[in-house]
Amino acid sequence: MTTEVTKIKRDAYDQDENVIVPPVDIYENENEYVIKADMPGVKKENIDITIDNNELSISGSVADEEKSRENIKYSEFALYNFFRSFNIGNDIDSGKVTANVCDGVLTLTLPKREEVKPKKIEITAE
Amino acid sequence: MYTTYNLFNDVLNLRDVFDDFFRRVPSRASRRVEFPYVNLYEKGDEIVIKAILPCVKSEDINVQLIDSGLVIEGERKIDYADSPYIRKERDFGKFKKSIRLPYDVDSNRISATLKDGIMTIKLAKSEAAKPKKIEIK
Repeated sequence: MTTEVTKIKRDAYDQDENVIVPPVDIYENENEYVIKADMPGVKKENIDITIDNNELSISGSVADEEKSRENIKYSEFALYNFFRSFNIGNDIDSGKVTANVCDGVLTLTLPKREEVKPKKIEITAE
Repeated sequence: MYTTYNLFNDVLNLRDVFDDFFRRVPSRASRRVEFPYVNLYEKGDEIVIKAILPCVKSEDINVQLIDSGLVIEGERKIDYADSPYIRKERDFGKFKKSIRLPYDVDSNRISATLKDGIMTIKLAKSEAAKPKKIEIK
């Protein structure tokens, strides 16, 4: 989890909020894309995934007691809410996206639309 | 309010631009801390250590108390078959980290829980390390 980056996100009231951009791995096979994001401290009910036109946004919120810095003597990380968005093209079937959370890692499966899947072309012998 | 315009203001700004370019290293390079990241909290007689270990099962982690240091070691296994990847930002592999504790702890009262990728270890100060009142005769 080395490349988590914090950035400041403006919310609806124009207040700055620190968010962490979760590191992701993106894999592709012939049927689907798989995105795996590290979001430690986030439970299933606190994850929000939306697809809006061609933009996929993932956001996860962390419980307040995990974020608290009370009594801290030595710190190597700070937990904030997570947020990341991607531009996805047209080749995803947005009705069939499934998501799964295990131990702080979100696995998003984005099946490709039928037309985009690689097709085998038969060669007919002459 | 009129402010005087100094010709050198723009030139000095240019120097800042160059300094920032060399100083702002991408976050991957500037992270000098090893995986897993830990936070140490101390409250009264109890030390709490939180470590970030996403998607590592408890059988892959080994926590030991050696002298007055806590050693966390284990392995983060790859969690997806080796399909071709478009982007890979997460790290995997073996890790080992030792944390020096500020005082002796009671080895019978240690508890560790792993939830949602965060491991919380609670340690209690040992009797010998608690402050003792000294009588003045």
